[in-house]
Amino acid sequence: MKSTSINWIGLQTFVAREMQRCFRVPVQTIITPLLSALFYIFIFGQVLGKTVQNIGGIPYINFVLPGVLMMSVIGAAFAQTSSSLYFHRFTRAIEEILVTPLSHFEMIIGYTLGGIMRGVVVGAGVLVIGVLFGAAGFAHLWWFFFYTVTISTLFALLGVLAGLWAKSFEQIAAPNAFILMPLSFLGGVFNSIAMYPPALQVFARINPFFYFVDGTRYSMTGVREGNTVLGVFIIFAIIALLAALVGYLFHKGWRLRA
Amino acid sequence: MSPMNALEISHLTKRYGLNIAVDDLSLSIKKGEFFGFLGKNGAGKSTTINAITGIARFDEGAINVFGVDVVKDYRNARKLVGLAPQEFNIDIFASPRKILHFMGGFYGMSRTIREPRINELLKRFDLESHAEKEFGMLSGGLKRRVLLARAMVHDPELLILDEPTAGVDVELRHELWGYLQELNEAGKTIILTSHYLEEVELLCSRIAIINKGKLVAIGDKSEFTSGGKRLEHRYLELTRDDVDNKTTK
Repeated sequence: MKSTSINWIGLQTFVAREMQRCFRVPVQTIITPLLSALFYIFIFGQVLGKTVQNIGGIPYINFVLPGVLMMSVIGAAFAQTSSSLYFHRFTRAIEEILVTPLSHFEMIIGYTLGGIMRGVVVGAGVLVIGVLFGAAGFAHLWWFFFYTVTISTLFALLGVLAGLWAKSFEQIAAPNAFILMPLSFLGGVFNSIAMYPPALQVFARINPFFYFVDGTRYSMTGVREGNTVLGVFIIFAIIALLAALVGYLFHKGWRLRA
Repeated sequence: MSPMNALEISHLTKRYGLNIAVDDLSLSIKKGEFFGFLGKNGAGKSTTINAITGIARFDEGAINVFGVDVVKDYRNARKLVGLAPQEFNIDIFASPRKILHFMGGFYGMSRTIREPRINELLKRFDLESHAEKEFGMLSGGLKRRVLLARAMVHDPELLILDEPTAGVDVELRHELWGYLQELNEAGKTIILTSHYLEEVELLCSRIAIINKGKLVAIGDKSEFTSGGKRLEHRYLELTRDDVDNKTTK
């Protein structure tokens, strides 16, 4: 095998191993995010939603569902890659991978595909919950696939970066607590950004999470507040940046190869 | 470089910050040799092994496995090498069968080739009844067997065993020795590091001793045991802190 060709069996095995690791602890990886989504949709959509006026001409539960779905996808994709890579580093099982003929590119693709698949599985589960509440629908199906896959990719790559950076299990949780959750909530998951004070509206429009939520909401309801083209550009720009950074760090062996 | 060399290390240097872990190390190992690589803890043995296998980058020098450069042509080089490390660097929640299955896949072995090979190794290392248990639940001896089986899954030409019998009971140690001798007789090149010098004396035909990152002695086993000396005495002489480290043959 040439160093430039792809080790397809190795890559396929890598992804299978990531999936097996994910499904080995389904309560942690699948059930918990689905239960969280269920309660968000029930409390905010069903219970509080009855007292809230329609937003953008759609019932509140339909407004909330896309944001909750995307928040779940983001959390799942990030958790998969960050915890997997950090666990491999912590147990030194990463050495088992480093001695094989897998290239850095294949390792990154393997971790990222694992994250995308977990993101998609959790996203599909939240969609089913939305159907049960009568709140799920598609205004633009292909946009929905686009946002689910690209945003899973983005956060899977961010998870790889966190998995490389972290020196403890506590640090693995830090990006979720200090970046992902606050920016998701401020990105208009539960409300229109028009409800914010003017200064916060400016912040919301420079918050990339707003475009992730807004794009998903557009794909499911046809309602949007942001610029779709700008949103797509932001997603691709961040993916390109993260892919370049992760590729560079793997190439340098940062916190991977002694 | 001789085409018969299984491993050729030229001027290998590896630094960790200001610390020099391996200092201008050069050695070659012929195809089919059972080679003992000795040194105290921290002498540079594991760092050298990590450099050969790709776990660690190195700062200077070159390493070739059967003439294949481990950096420039890492894919082909790594297919030629199997490593049973000192530490249990493994997914402790996976079963031995899964561990072998995934490892074979990483090496690009198709399922049809992998499955019979895995069954063969499980049988060879008497792991069949433990094949579906979690690795973390196995005894120390069984864990060592899994590491050996994992190193062998892709049938490498060069087998590197870093303390393979650490924590293993006497019966299993003898069993492993027999298996390693069989492998060597079948043409596999084996590099063994061990603190059990009687094990090295029994199995290895050539020996190198490393101290403070430098090669201090290399030669046939008979050269270390000449004059009725035990390998252990020679080893202690060569690795004493006050010894001027110049390579002897």
